[in-house]
Amino acid sequence: MNSSEKNKNGPSSELEENLEILRQTYFFSGLPLETLKVFAYLCTRVKFKAGEYIFHQKEDDGRAFYIISGKARLEREDNNTAKEIRDCNSGEFLGGLTLLGETPRLFSLKAVQDTVCLILSREKFSKALEQFPGVMPRIFKAVAKNVDAWEERFLTDRADMCGECMVNLGVSLI
Amino acid sequence: MKKAKIAVVKRSLFSWVFAGNVKLQITLLLIIVVMVFARVLPLEMQKRIVNEAINLRSLDLLFMYCGIYLVAVIFFSALKYLTNVIQTLITQRTTARMRKELYHYILTLPLGFFRNTQPGSVVNSLIAELTMPGNFAGMAITSPVTNVLTLLAFAVYLFFLNPLLAAVSLSIYPIVVFLVPVLQKGVNRANKKRVDAARQLSSRIAESITGIHEVHGNGAYSIENRKYDSMVDRLLKIRIIWSLYRFAVKSSNSFFVSLGPFIVFILGGYLTIKGQLELGALVAFLSAQEKLYDPWKELIEFYQVYQDGSVTYKRTMEFFDLEPEHAMEPEDRKPFDLDGSVEVKDMSFVTDSGIRLLDGINLSLNSGEHLALVGFSGSGKSTLALCIGQLYKYTGGHVLIGEKEVADLTKKDMVNNLGFVAQNPFIFDGTIEDNILYACRAKVDGNGQDPEALPNLDDIIAVLHQTGIFVDILGFGLNTILAHDQQKELVGVIIRVRENFQRDFGDELADYVEFFDEDQYLFYSSVAENLIFGTPNKDSFSDANLSKNGYFLGFLGQADLTRPLLSLGAELARQTVDILGNLPPDAIFFEQSPIAPEELAEFKVLSERLKRKKLHELADSDREKLLELALRFVPGVHKMVALPAILENLILEGRALFRKKISEDDPGAITFYQLSEYIHSQTILNNIFFGKTKEANPDAQEKIYQSIIQLLIEEDLLETVIEIGMYFQVGSKGDKLSGGQRQKLAIARAFLKNPKILIMDEATSALDNKSQARIQNLLETRWKKKSTVISVVHRLDTIKNYDRVAVMKAGKILEMGTYDELMARKGQLYELVGKK
Repeated sequence: MNSSEKNKNGPSSELEENLEILRQTYFFSGLPLETLKVFAYLCTRVKFKAGEYIFHQKEDDGRAFYIISGKARLEREDNNTAKEIRDCNSGEFLGGLTLLGETPRLFSLKAVQDTVCLILSREKFSKALEQFPGVMPRIFKAVAKNVDAWEERFLTDRADMCGECMVNLGVSLI
Repeated sequence: MKKAKIAVVKRSLFSWVFAGNVKLQITLLLIIVVMVFARVLPLEMQKRIVNEAINLRSLDLLFMYCGIYLVAVIFFSALKYLTNVIQTLITQRTTARMRKELYHYILTLPLGFFRNTQPGSVVNSLIAELTMPGNFAGMAITSPVTNVLTLLAFAVYLFFLNPLLAAVSLSIYPIVVFLVPVLQKGVNRANKKRVDAARQLSSRIAESITGIHEVHGNGAYSIENRKYDSMVDRLLKIRIIWSLYRFAVKSSNSFFVSLGPFIVFILGGYLTIKGQLELGALVAFLSAQEKLYDPWKELIEFYQVYQDGSVTYKRTMEFFDLEPEHAMEPEDRKPFDLDGSVEVKDMSFVTDSGIRLLDGINLSLNSGEHLALVGFSGSGKSTLALCIGQLYKYTGGHVLIGEKEVADLTKKDMVNNLGFVAQNPFIFDGTIEDNILYACRAKVDGNGQDPEALPNLDDIIAVLHQTGIFVDILGFGLNTILAHDQQKELVGVIIRVRENFQRDFGDELADYVEFFDEDQYLFYSSVAENLIFGTPNKDSFSDANLSKNGYFLGFLGQADLTRPLLSLGAELARQTVDILGNLPPDAIFFEQSPIAPEELAEFKVLSERLKRKKLHELADSDREKLLELALRFVPGVHKMVALPAILENLILEGRALFRKKISEDDPGAITFYQLSEYIHSQTILNNIFFGKTKEANPDAQEKIYQSIIQLLIEEDLLETVIEIGMYFQVGSKGDKLSGGQRQKLAIARAFLKNPKILIMDEATSALDNKSQARIQNLLETRWKKKSTVISVVHRLDTIKNYDRVAVMKAGKILEMGTYDELMARKGQLYELVGKK
């Protein structure tokens, strides 16, 4: 491509960086380049200061996040007690399912360091998708595969630690 | 209003000819009669000139007859022009009337119709297809009357000249009258075939292009060619036959008509030679004969317009020929003022295709009671709410509101008593104010009330607070650029607010705001703003004119900025066109684009040229466009291109140079940014900040607004800014608003109407926890016991305080009771809550 060659000498634009990120994210990696470019263009970067919430439990913020830098903590509140689930580090992609349909969050995500996220909103995602109806099956495939892989990994690594929860396994069967 | 009005779709094409055009059509008829006379008169003059003036060698007679001839011709032309004017008037007025009445009718059609209808076909019917019937209406009287009268007049005149000759030469026309329709049928037949064949051919092409991978992969060129070629051949045959028929109509018509003079020559010549006909009469006869051709041709054309017009008219009207499900307004009574009780008895709803969406629904609500409908999607809860609200017409059982059967109520009865918030509320192009008052205006309009009856600003602001859209509207107000002479008081106060803001919140918000600092590059401002660093006081320095401003261009050259900016502009054009080139002009795609949707086509062409030409080879107009684009570039927003560090430095140096230069050459042209001055080219918010906001997360945004609200309250400015915000243009379909804002706006417009019965269909799904809780709380405190609420609920944590909860599944109510009762019963709701 003519334009990208020209750019090689100069600094790379945020769009190009976003594109690189999306190409490495399971949710988007299977999409054709023209589509990916539009998604990369529609993404925004937002900085969260340490202590600020990126999303809240029970809320449907309708956005997917890729953590570019910093660190955020996944929490869940049950019966007024908050539990820390785990830390999410740079390079992690969260909330792909949010893009597909309205679901209130089951967790909250809170920045524990100053954190910069790449964000794509469901509104933009679905607007763009209207223009590329052909890519939806690929995304569904990627999501289905990922859910399956997740549970398989869980079963191989952790199933023996499950105990009573064993009967609730099988999210890949939904 | 006319009594017993026939629905527009049932009206015949002819009914439009006189409707509303009676005076015009009668005037037209009168003119035509005079015109026909003015058309025959020259023939008689012609005869007299030859027979009398020339024969008698009388100059007086010659001048007199020629004079009459001339007057008749002028008179005729003037009248002809007048008829054209009137005809156009009738055509356009009728088309407009058809468009209006059909549109008014279409809007009342049942919702089911629109589910199966593409908006495009409605647009096409209203815009394109009604023009032909409109044309017909314009011609319907004029054309046949003029031409038949003219024909008759000529015929009578011919008989008057010589009956035998007239009879023989007119005998041709009956043959044509018989032959043309026969041939026309052939044309129509061939035309239908042609349309079908062309359609098949296009789908053939589409298929082979879509499957081009397979064609290449298998080298199946010959197979595809064969399939394609045979279809083209078929189309070729059909088209030839079609054309032959069409020419046959034309040729046979003109052939028979041209036979006329032949007969006149042979018979008339014979008679003249034998002395039975005067030479003058023969000349007049020949002229009259020839003149028969024009009206005849026009009649045939009219016949074709009539054919086309009536076919498209019929097809269009048939397409929309459905009954509205409910009468619009009561005929012999005032609209009901219903009480808010709702009673549903054994109600069912079956679709046209026989699917039972609701079955045996029973429930009853007293006025002021609140009902939550819960269940999986597809369980029928939305359908039930829509049936109660008369948007769907239930097919069995009863729904009573205020003890009146909903099926028998008119739309106006419903509108006066019911408020509705849809699942995906629709926001119309216009201002926030237009949309908030939408429901109230419709009600006030419909009842013929004074606009005074609309809620006042205080009422509106109260509802804005209740629904939580207040802060959003404040944001719109703050993001408004005030014109120079607008809100002079406000301007003064804002400078004071700015100082307080800097003092109170400056440090805290430094992360979210890029302050106007003379020594820093501003990444959230445009290149032009970075260079000028002030507000232009002269139009020639405004953003739109900068790239044409000779002085400024000279400065760019001096600052070594021309070429780097041109190259930046070229890169911006290339990248933006690459990404957005094929996307529709929706606001969401163009938020981060330096090119506006309407300019895209232009830049597409320009970026094509950029592939072939070097920058210095471009035309001046192209360079100007690229420069303009570069000057708009805001690195913090337009992410498709990075700002090279060298250019950043050059621009910073340019800023200092420009300031020095313009202060010497044209002091007063620019007011530079300084803390003590209001910046008229910037929004109110940027003025308060003395800077621009960066990309901020919602929490930070909230924090910023809270601090500003505090300051505005101190200065008693809050209402002023809200009022400004109410004029924010929401864009087509409200696409400049977020999903949450659209929903809050829809709730606000229903709340403002303050209806007896409020139906909310998952009305808060796009809202954050806080807004959702606020609205739930409001329903429980302010609406309980006052208005009946039926709420389709998607989140079960909000239903605890409803008077009744109904759990639905597969179109039936499984259980109903208070939340506590149902939970204690450990039935369906218990399971649902557990699952969630």
